[in-house]
Amino acid sequence: MKKYRSLHTISLGLIILFSIITMSSMNSCVPSKAVAAKTGVQLWSENCQRCHNTPSPTTFSPEIWETVGMHMQTRALLTEAERDKIVEFLKSAR
Amino acid sequence: MKQNISFKRYGLLTILLMGIYAHSFAQTTSTVDSSVYDRLNYLEEQMNYHKSGDDHFMVVGLTTFGFASNKTTNTLNGVSNVTKSNSFPDADHFEFSPMLLWRHGKKFLMEFEPSFANNSVGVNWADISYFVTPNVILRAGYFVLPFGTYSKKQAAGWINKLATDPMGIGDVPSTDYGVEIEGGLPFGSMKMNYDFALTNGLQLNTDGSLAGGNIVDNNNNKTFTGRLGLLPFSNSSLELGVSGMFGKTGNYGTIYQNVKANLYAFDLNYVKTFVPILLNIKGQYNIINIGDANYVSPLDPTQTYTFKNYTTNGFIQCAIRPTGIQALHDLELAGRYTTYSTPANSTFGSDQHSFSIGLNYWLSWRAVARIAYETYTGNSTASQALNAFTGTTNSNTLYLQFSIQL
Repeated sequence: MKKYRSLHTISLGLIILFSIITMSSMNSCVPSKAVAAKTGVQLWSENCQRCHNTPSPTTFSPEIWETVGMHMQTRALLTEAERDKIVEFLKSAR
Repeated sequence: MKQNISFKRYGLLTILLMGIYAHSFAQTTSTVDSSVYDRLNYLEEQMNYHKSGDDHFMVVGLTTFGFASNKTTNTLNGVSNVTKSNSFPDADHFEFSPMLLWRHGKKFLMEFEPSFANNSVGVNWADISYFVTPNVILRAGYFVLPFGTYSKKQAAGWINKLATDPMGIGDVPSTDYGVEIEGGLPFGSMKMNYDFALTNGLQLNTDGSLAGGNIVDNNNNKTFTGRLGLLPFSNSSLELGVSGMFGKTGNYGTIYQNVKANLYAFDLNYVKTFVPILLNIKGQYNIINIGDANYVSPLDPTQTYTFKNYTTNGFIQCAIRPTGIQALHDLELAGRYTTYSTPANSTFGSDQHSFSIGLNYWLSWRAVARIAYETYTGNSTASQALNAFTGTTNSNTLYLQFSIQL
């Protein structure tokens, strides 16, 4: 029971800490200059592989990449700017 | 005079010939122009005909098919019992799931994934998302809950690095009916993401385990589930997440109606290339704590029993792929350790551990053939008074599996 209470406290503490960081980021919500300057190909190589292998641009047509981009934004919780740059890269590199 | 007439004749002839030549050339040019214009008009019509509209519908899907050969030894009261089995396909992990996506402009997305698995057809998710602002997405319907990352991001056969799901992941209901808000946020060189859901929620089974995903809520209390993720490095290589799920579980009007469940999950994802190796580390640890309750004895319905309803499970997984070595870059070696502890003195209590190792051969970025081997040890901690104690179980399983997403 004591062990559970400790875990409960630690878990709640972490949730509160993450919440504070999230609230702060919601207020600022601005990427650094270096992050904002990232290209679609950079974001493609960094983000897709977080879950699966990086997809080949030739896999889908431009129209399909738009839809896949929206689906992946909901799964990977990409920012909209990241999604748009990655989709533009995939469409242009076919 | 005669010479003068000849000059005139040659001059007229020359002008005539030039005129004929120019005329014939003009006629050719005109014919070519007309043909090119016709062709251009046709292509323009074709372009307009095939031009993307605001809406788009597409079907993709995935399937996993395999073979499993298993040997299990159970020892109870000093007596060992050995069973062997092999199945084709590997029934626990066979799946055929088309995924349908509808997009309406850049604001609405509908997602539907029916699935044929375990000899029946079910639905993995069916929901609609509204992209409100660059950092806010609203969703409603039947969706995957934001508890940890495995169920939402890693469970698909072509994404999973091994042939099986980590033990205990299924103890937390992974899908439910409700509403959800989520998004990704830039934060200087870091990134944050949030995902909160309000759903019909958790329901208490008669043995003290949890169920979910019911279209009718069993009480007046909704379950809150939320996850916060932090990507501290600008290259997004590391993601740390913390999740919580809170709600009442019992049926309204019963003695269980105020039994609460508090669940927590901690997850880690680290993917980075250290030339020539791509390193992929994933982990998740879940804590499930359900309030005290008296449960009806399966042996005698007039009797009750109770136990501390506390479950933990977790896994740590590591995969390495030599992407920088031409001869080996399609191969990937993966290993995973899983621990799973269910409540002692319940009807399902046990301390379980498993270790899996697998070799993946990537036929393309989304098609994989794998061979995996898994060892398992389980020591029952279930109630002896309820005749639920099952002794010690050891098993070894070999998997051959193919998975693809199209």
